Amino acid sequence: MKFRKKSQQEEKTLDPIVYVVESLQGYRSALIQSEVDSLHELSMVRHSFGNVLHDSESLRESLSDFEQTFSSINTVSAQFASVKDNIFESVSQVQGKVETLKSSSLQVANHFEEMQSTFDTFQLSLNEIRKCMGRIVSIADQTNILSLNASIEAARAGEQGKGFATVAGEIKSLSEEIKNLVSMVDSSVGEVESGTDQLHASIQTSHQALEESLTKVDETYAMFDKITQAAGGAESVQTEISGVIDDSKSKLHTLSSFFEKMKNHYDTVMQHINRVSSMGTTKSAMYEDIDNMMAQIPPIIDDYNAG
Amino acid sequence: MRQFFGMSPSGNLEEALHGLKDPQLIMLLSNNEQFEDHVKKLESLFPGVPSIGCIGMSYDVRVVEKGVGVIAYYDGINAVANVLEHVSVMPVKYIGRLQKDIHSIKSSGRDTVCIDFCSGNDACVLTTIYSALQRSNISLVGGTGDGGKVSANGKVYEDAVAYALIKNLNGKVKAYKENIYHQLGNYRFVASGTDKANYRLGQLNGKPAKQVYQNILHVTEEQISTQTFKNPFGKINGNDTCIISIKEVSGNSLTCFRQVNDSDVLILLELGDYRQIVRDTIQTIKNDFQRISAVFSVNCLFRYLLFTDHHYMKDYLMDMSTLGHHAGLVGYGEHYNNRFVNQSMTCVVFE
Repeated sequence: MKFRKKSQQEEKTLDPIVYVVESLQGYRSALIQSEVDSLHELSMVRHSFGNVLHDSESLRESLSDFEQTFSSINTVSAQFASVKDNIFESVSQVQGKVETLKSSSLQVANHFEEMQSTFDTFQLSLNEIRKCMGRIVSIADQTNILSLNASIEAARAGEQGKGFATVAGEIKSLSEEIKNLVSMVDSSVGEVESGTDQLHASIQTSHQALEESLTKVDETYAMFDKITQAAGGAESVQTEISGVIDDSKSKLHTLSSFFEKMKNHYDTVMQHINRVSSMGTTKSAMYEDIDNMMAQIPPIIDDYNAG
Repeated sequence: MRQFFGMSPSGNLEEALHGLKDPQLIMLLSNNEQFEDHVKKLESLFPGVPSIGCIGMSYDVRVVEKGVGVIAYYDGINAVANVLEHVSVMPVKYIGRLQKDIHSIKSSGRDTVCIDFCSGNDACVLTTIYSALQRSNISLVGGTGDGGKVSANGKVYEDAVAYALIKNLNGKVKAYKENIYHQLGNYRFVASGTDKANYRLGQLNGKPAKQVYQNILHVTEEQISTQTFKNPFGKINGNDTCIISIKEVSGNSLTCFRQVNDSDVLILLELGDYRQIVRDTIQTIKNDFQRISAVFSVNCLFRYLLFTDHHYMKDYLMDMSTLGHHAGLVGYGEHYNNRFVNQSMTCVVFE
């Protein structure tokens, strides 16, 4: 497109319009270049902000994971409470068994007492037997003296006293036999006494051992009480842990809410960026329309000038 | 209103016109060898009836590849046909024709559509035509024909756009655009180093376009021109995405089937579930219309090739026919309002 020199005749041409169009085309090119740069920058902003959004989302997810971790700790802590409850239950069961054992032992102790009393009665009876046997020996001795006296009197009586002497001899034999029998009974009673003493000593020892066992049972019961108390103490620790976790979760939730708000703000910014970006894309279509229209002006002017 | 579709695989126009009576608008879809003859014969058979035409394949429930197809409207429309010439340099010189036609058809906007057949420089043509149409809220649907020729009212034009304004006297009309691709990854490019006259795309985010395309899709230079069936570019325009096909590699640049401008924001696309997308489009149209009189569509040649390759073309046409009477053109570029797109389907639905 040639630009004619200014003259009176040329002032009537449309060449100045061509000049204006060409200038506008130059401005349009510069504008488009600027638009390319702007879109590039906007693309970079969009990309960078996308990264911010992504990182923010990652952080939010991490916080969410944290919250999950706290929940897990709480769950584990609650399991600990369950273990504590199991301990309580087991201790309670064992204490029940110990109580039963103690009760049974006390019954055994009562039986030992009864046995002791029976032995005492038995001892008294033995003593009575001994006394009776002493009297029997004494009677046997008197009978022996009597039979001796009777023998002497029978000898004095002579022939008439022979039968009586025989009877007196048999009485003497009987009394000797009684004494022998009493001696045997005494020996047996002595053995019984000796066995009884041993049995008594054993019962005493067993009784003593039983009493010691009862003391141990009481001590065991007390130890289980201490275990229960200790488990109860653990419960308060668990409650404290749960409290700390709840507190942390609450703070974490506040932090998450903050990030949620931040994410909403980020999303809004991203929406604006996308809207600006979208507007930029419609501008490119407008530039095309402008360009398509402006490109037609020079040929039209040429056509006009050609007449 | 009613839509007529007649065809002759052998290119016999009388056969294609068999049964057509009292048309109010005729659209001729002919072949390279017979186009001029068909235009002349059509005008002699229906003198004074508004008509537009171009070279291209046509279809209703089957495709006419090399013969002739005729789409006509009758019974309940007002129509006018005309042409803008010198579209490669100054279609706006003839904008007065369109303005006069818009005025004469007394459109209410929602009852009128403009259908255009263009021979080239589509983006400039659409800017020009739509600048007039949008003032009356008239939608535009159209496409690019083959051979650099179009016809209007019995005359063949080169370097021109033929248009028809159709007013539906019995209800509304609505235009649609269908995209069977969706964004691949999160790539977003600002185009630069473009040559809009030769449809060249020099750089994407400051790097050679060819290298960027190859690096992402791992294809050889030779594979690029066929890879476009799977992965064309998408030009972002607000909430809309306009598909741009790649024609060939030119040095480190990519030559496309549509002009790319500096500062255009592009994304990479990949083929979606086209059967489902078509079903969705059909459902959208059914939701918008209680009663459909006719559907006219323009399907990109690339879509035709893709659907044919995937043995889907026949099913596609059968699916579209569930809307009602459906016919259309296989184009070299599709028009939707002021947007010139590739690998797409645009259509207008008449109530």
